Amino acid sequence: MNPQVEMNRWKRLVVSDYWVLYLSIACFLVLFPFTPRLASIENIRNIFSNMLPLLVVAIGETIVLITGGIDLSVTSVIGLSSVIGASIMSSDQGLLAGNPAAAAAGVAGMILAGVFVGWLNGIAVTRLRMPPFIATLTSMMFFGGLAVWLTQSRPIYDLPARFIELGQGAWLWLPNSLAVAGVTAVFAHVLLSRSLLGRWIYAVGTNPRTSLISGVPVNRVVTFAYAASGGCAAVASVLYTARLETGSPVLGQRILLDVIGATVIGGTSLFGGKGNALWTVFGVSFICLIDNSLNMLGLSYFVVTMVKGGIILFAALVDAARSRILAG
Amino acid sequence: MNEDMLLEYEDIEKSFFGVRVLSKVSFALRKGHILGLVGENGAGKSTLVNILGGVISSDAGHIRFQGREYTAASPADAFRQGIGFIHQELNLFTNLDVAENIFIAGFPVRRIACIPWIDARAMRARAEELLGSVGLAIPCDTLVERLSQGERQLVEIAKALRLSARLIILDEPTTSLTARESERLFALMKELQGRGISMIFISHNLGDVFRLCDDIVVLRDGLVVDAGPVERFSENRVISLMVGRSLDHYYPPRATVPDEEVLLEVSGLSHPGIVEDISLTLRRGEVLGVSGLMGAGRSELARILFGLDPYTRGEISVKGLRMPSGPSRAAIRSGMAFLTENRREEGLLMEASVADNIALVCLPSFTRTPSGLVDSASLKREVSGAASKLRIRSSSLDRQKVRTLSGGNQQKVVLAKWLLSGPSVFILDEPTRGIDVGAKHEIYKIINDLAGRGAGVLLISSEIEELMGMCDRILVMSAGEITACVERPEYDRERILRFALGRKPV
Amino acid sequence: MIRQGDRLLAFLLRNATAFLFVAAFLAFGVQAPAFLEPANLLNILLQSSSAAITATGMTFVLLAGGIDLSVGSIMFVSAALAGKVVLGGGSLALVIPIVLAVGIACGAINALFTTRLRIQPFIATLAALYMWRGLGLWITRTRAMNLPESLLQVGTARPLGIPAPIFIFCAVLASAHLVLARTPVGRQIYAIGNDREAADKAGIASGRVIAIVYMLSGLCAALGGLVSVAQLGAVSPTFGNQREFAAIAAAVLGGTSLFGGRGRVFPGTVLGAVLIQTVENGLVIVNANPYVYPLIMSAIIFVAVFTDSARHARLSRLSRRYIRPWQAAAHRVETANSGEEGKQ
Repeated sequence: MNPQVEMNRWKRLVVSDYWVLYLSIACFLVLFPFTPRLASIENIRNIFSNMLPLLVVAIGETIVLITGGIDLSVTSVIGLSSVIGASIMSSDQGLLAGNPAAAAAGVAGMILAGVFVGWLNGIAVTRLRMPPFIATLTSMMFFGGLAVWLTQSRPIYDLPARFIELGQGAWLWLPNSLAVAGVTAVFAHVLLSRSLLGRWIYAVGTNPRTSLISGVPVNRVVTFAYAASGGCAAVASVLYTARLETGSPVLGQRILLDVIGATVIGGTSLFGGKGNALWTVFGVSFICLIDNSLNMLGLSYFVVTMVKGGIILFAALVDAARSRILAG
Repeated sequence: MNEDMLLEYEDIEKSFFGVRVLSKVSFALRKGHILGLVGENGAGKSTLVNILGGVISSDAGHIRFQGREYTAASPADAFRQGIGFIHQELNLFTNLDVAENIFIAGFPVRRIACIPWIDARAMRARAEELLGSVGLAIPCDTLVERLSQGERQLVEIAKALRLSARLIILDEPTTSLTARESERLFALMKELQGRGISMIFISHNLGDVFRLCDDIVVLRDGLVVDAGPVERFSENRVISLMVGRSLDHYYPPRATVPDEEVLLEVSGLSHPGIVEDISLTLRRGEVLGVSGLMGAGRSELARILFGLDPYTRGEISVKGLRMPSGPSRAAIRSGMAFLTENRREEGLLMEASVADNIALVCLPSFTRTPSGLVDSASLKREVSGAASKLRIRSSSLDRQKVRTLSGGNQQKVVLAKWLLSGPSVFILDEPTRGIDVGAKHEIYKIINDLAGRGAGVLLISSEIEELMGMCDRILVMSAGEITACVERPEYDRERILRFALGRKPV
Repeated sequence: MIRQGDRLLAFLLRNATAFLFVAAFLAFGVQAPAFLEPANLLNILLQSSSAAITATGMTFVLLAGGIDLSVGSIMFVSAALAGKVVLGGGSLALVIPIVLAVGIACGAINALFTTRLRIQPFIATLAALYMWRGLGLWITRTRAMNLPESLLQVGTARPLGIPAPIFIFCAVLASAHLVLARTPVGRQIYAIGNDREAADKAGIASGRVIAIVYMLSGLCAALGGLVSVAQLGAVSPTFGNQREFAAIAAAVLGGTSLFGGRGRVFPGTVLGAVLIQTVENGLVIVNANPYVYPLIMSAIIFVAVFTDSARHARLSRLSRRYIRPWQAAAHRVETANSGEEGKQ
């Protein structure tokens, strides 16, 4: 076979939108013979239940990354939302304990809290001109601390059944959590690829100066992105809280690097202007698949950690290679 | 081999992405001479000196420097071999002091316990000496961020003199200097020449070139079109060599004449330190030129008009309506379009596709309410319509990145982007900078077309001939003020230049 | 003319951390006299030494315009390795060089990612964060380790009558300060942070300097991990978790700019690290609700970052070109008065 053709095929594969998906499938096929349990219904359900909340957070992060920013506060938003929601609707000590609207009010309160924190991040980045990294780092520390302080580090139990249903139940055959994550992903995809706001988000991430001169309301677009990221983290918080049946201030604290890692593996660039919701779906599936299968292989936590680090590096290298191929 | 020659270029060639930028360039520079390198933007001047300065390497040909075959792997390498390079943007570190800037790449050190410590005393002493030799009387522990542009320029020269440079390249050194600072620089250049140092001087100001230089090399489209001692040239001859054709046919004629209706009216516009008491009117169908030297405040005026920078006094109105101050969206809504001088950083999304760039300004009008979704089909139609009308040459509007287009096509993309928002006032800041002659011609035709269809065009340019060829009237700016308004019958290069030099305090 | 209020604001902004420091001292001193006792002040220094050492390394990276997210994991590797060697019967004289060498090696690999493979520092060190933590977990077999007396000597010994952590802290501080202020590499770090492209053009071997910066950061993190483990006496699997954020916070609080090129180790970063510890210690002494700590800390860091951003925005505004410099003279005077002190 002609090596030239062969190489072009590789190049085409790497620059394809779906290459992370192919990579996931390849991984699955390679690992499956060693751990047949990987494909069991139970395990797939397990993968999904880990993946869906992570996916929702990662989609919000994707929007922020496309504007050229970063949001480190998502994990704190998850904790804070969880605590706020639980303290509204817990039948033990909640504000609306026993009220039939408690679940709805709780969810609304959670989302509002997330959007509010995101909005504050946006203000810090646009109006106060703070670097996104450190602005959201500070808000991660503050709101994480706030969640712990509000509850004095005690989890809140006794959430209403209707709320728990949201995370654990199913509508006909479709699990609610899958529906929530799916709707979020589709919504984000349409927003980014089809709407005016989406076009503006890419423009701002590609070049804020040009965008401003061309009449794009740069500050508002960026603020929206952070608010959306906060909102997504709050939705994820609903899923996590309902799954655990507990409002906990430390919920989701360990997923921050997974979120950023998954988004970057998907192909969204930290430099801004590049990325999309679909890539993030693939990136999240990939990282969850790796996580799960390494666990199933009986590999210890340290190997999993190291492999994750290696994957992020690999993704960064592939991203550089992709830009080179596309440029050349 | 001629003993007097310091530097000889022999058949130097260079291409970027398959486009030939320099072809078979040969010339020589005598010891102790100042050589003026002139040519239009994009003629290859920077490429030529960048090869010498080790910034890029040549594809073919030889350079002899001080009688030996010369190549430079890096700027530092060139510097070590005795070539100092003063770039248009200064390469100083504002957070360090003057002495540290001079010695940043080679501090005098004393080893104590095997660790190289900066020998501060030696460094200060040598820095004082170098500052003295460029006539800069400031303490050498002054932070560079406290210095004026002119002082920084002198620090750069002191830096170039650190290792006894035989040749100093000055690439447009006067662009951000005041007249007084320029004079000081020229005096220093003469003095350095007296010490036997050769210089290559790149400048758009032909007056300066004729005053300072012993030899002139004229470049056009990567070719040396003429070279020789300054006595052989006149300014007019240099200009026609640079342009390569007689100016009469260069600018396409416009069929229409300006209307009476005023589109843009500015009165008493001022901002301290930037512009002072600017008043102007732009009529329907008019092309109004704005001339001035670099740093006269033309681009700053444009930015203020478009709402990007603040102003403290005065009024701007478009079609009789006072324009609210604020972000550019207000200006766009009132019917203004702004092509900035900085195409790469402010005009285009370089990493985005041609179509995305063209669509950027008009997006809101192609958005359905209340869904907020973009009507991609009709947007695409409009975009490709605009692209073909301006004859943008692109392999695929949707896939080709703007970065990969030629300069002229890039500029047409910026114009197309604004055209789609249907503006009545165009502010064009250096629309033909850095693009080739053919594309320039097309841009001129587009400008005429705009005016013909009833728009008003404010054309800002450094090339006086361009303004004389294109405009109905020319405003001349100097030091942030309008010093004259020249009508077409009175067009005269020298006259305009005199106004441009105008009220600069010397 | 320059308004009085502007100048006052500029002055406050410039010295925000120092004011916070004084305010913290006054507040806690009034609330609890025990806070001001020499024993307690010494205690604050002891507690802050590990963080200050790590933050010193971080300062180098930030000054060069980079970031190092892997320091917490390097601390873990160093502590784990120290524990392993001591438990295996190695002497202290063996532990210290091993740990330092590993720190430098980790830093060198970070440098390799950023300079050779040209991966953004943020992503490269993020990946490194995972990898070094994985390495540490492998060394400890994911179990907590209790350490024998011999390693605790690092925490309790008193060379020249000074507690060892403070001694190490001062030594690191002094050498870092001297390197930054007095050596070619130190000044070149500032230059690279100011303008990387110009640094390359000026002939600075940027790649080499950046490599040094990451190696120093790794070295400091390893040393910080060693000091910390000697004080704690145990290594848990979460040892050093999120310490990279504490290090960044201390450096930024001390006036090091995240935009690169501005800041210093002394008094800057040290002040930042000690301030964090002072507030924590003071809150303990006045019996504050421990859950309030992170709120107060993040509020303080917010002030510091806001100050840095405001200063940066101000500088870029002032560096604007004036067409009519004689009119801008007033603005220039203002620059000089409220000018920046980037140099050492």
